[in-house]
Amino acid sequence: MRPIGAGFVLLGTGISLVGTSWDVQWHIDVGPDTFFTLPHLFIYAGSAIAGIAALVVVLAVTAAQRRGETPDPRDGGVPIRVFGGAFTAPLGYLVTGLGAAAFLLYGLTDLWWHTVYGFDAVLNSPPHVALFTNISITMIGAVIIAAAARDQLWGRIAMAISVPALMTFFPITANAFQGLNLPFDTIVAATVLIVVLLLVVTRVAIGRPGAALATAAALLAMQGILWVFTPWATSAYADSVGLPMRDGMGGEPSLIPSGIPLAALLAAVAIELLLRRGPLLSGAIAGLVLGFTFVLQRSWLGYGPHATPLLLLTTTIAGALFGWLGAYLGSRFGAMVRVGEKVTA
Amino acid sequence: MIKRLFVVLAALLLTLATASPAMAYEPVNVVHTERVQVGPYGLTVGFSTWPLRAMQSLDFTFAPDGGLDGKSGTYFRTGPSGSHTFPVPLARHPRKRDVWGLDVFALQTQGNWKLTFAIDGSQGHGEGTLANLQVLEQPGPPLTLSWIVCSLPFLGLVAFLVIAWRRSRNLVQVA
Repeated sequence: MRPIGAGFVLLGTGISLVGTSWDVQWHIDVGPDTFFTLPHLFIYAGSAIAGIAALVVVLAVTAAQRRGETPDPRDGGVPIRVFGGAFTAPLGYLVTGLGAAAFLLYGLTDLWWHTVYGFDAVLNSPPHVALFTNISITMIGAVIIAAAARDQLWGRIAMAISVPALMTFFPITANAFQGLNLPFDTIVAATVLIVVLLLVVTRVAIGRPGAALATAAALLAMQGILWVFTPWATSAYADSVGLPMRDGMGGEPSLIPSGIPLAALLAAVAIELLLRRGPLLSGAIAGLVLGFTFVLQRSWLGYGPHATPLLLLTTTIAGALFGWLGAYLGSRFGAMVRVGEKVTA
Repeated sequence: MIKRLFVVLAALLLTLATASPAMAYEPVNVVHTERVQVGPYGLTVGFSTWPLRAMQSLDFTFAPDGGLDGKSGTYFRTGPSGSHTFPVPLARHPRKRDVWGLDVFALQTQGNWKLTFAIDGSQGHGEGTLANLQVLEQPGPPLTLSWIVCSLPFLGLVAFLVIAWRRSRNLVQVA
């Protein structure tokens, strides 16, 4: 049963990710918006599927516990007593469920926002940032669920899907900082923090050499899929509803896959080689590599500011610092998801 | 029972995947126009909402006299602070293809804006500016309040991670 529950959570988060990439590109390349577009349906259905799956598992675990069974922390994480013990919720499913519920709630604030401010399709409006955060929380639940089952093959496969999805999605929330006038590229810094943190989490949680490298390879594969699917879906959907592409648009690389650092594999190699010498050093080196290359990548693909030598220098330094911080947090979070095992042993 | 619930979930998914969403794109409804002389070309700038308010999006239309045939151009915006965007090509409005325009676009700050156009056509090159475009105060609650409400999920996430960190401190050290 448990791989089925985890599978539906992964399916939901995957649908949200694909829908977001499609929706963003739709607004760039085609334009018109209503609530009832197919990409919006994907985004909302993704959260609904993940949320309902989480609810079903929580109810099942609660029922099992009432029958006298002891919850197994490998089934979605440490069991948490909710509402004074009325429910027993595995931590991962609890986080996924709360993220999905908050997503639907903030969908209402987004609807209100659009009635006041119009249907301006921007990434950095407050409700949009809240919605992206809530999907990220749903995805964090998926990572906890996968990490709890890391001693089984399906758990490790689930890690290789859920972690890259979160790496792709969470940095979108950094668009909230666009208005701040910082001397470095904030999107690059946030992406470095999240990618390094999650590579270290995966390596520490799974505890096997090559885990970070495999995750980075899966990230590259996910980028490839979105790179091909997003422009195809955008133009196919525009054709099917009889809308033309905007003048001069349609040939450029898609925004969401462009926001995935191509050098994540190099960063993973740095972490694999240097982790034993100290996670912080490995994170700083990985962050340095990512910071430098990602500024160039964003500028080259046309989605970031022009890579001046000064911006390259400041953002590379910021990359090393955020990579250091990511490794500090990641090594602790990675150890935390292993705690269940220690407690029950 | 659990399997039945997942069957229901799968059925729901299938329904959603095969549903055909209602498509209804609003037509562009111009409620106010301004005239700009861009060299030899007359240009009518249309607005779907009037007056303009900061952060509130609307449709802009840029209609040169005699239609778009044989014409191309660029435009840039100058904000109240005096800073301006790079000139970008004038593109047809996605929902009103016979004119140039911007769809559901918002000017972000209150104050005096300028739109500067450059048009090339059979009569040569022309430039002109729509000056003194007044943008009123933003509608809705103060932006800080909106950000506070919409930061709650992120603050909740941080609180969760801090609590988990503190609770696992001893266990992680043992491990």
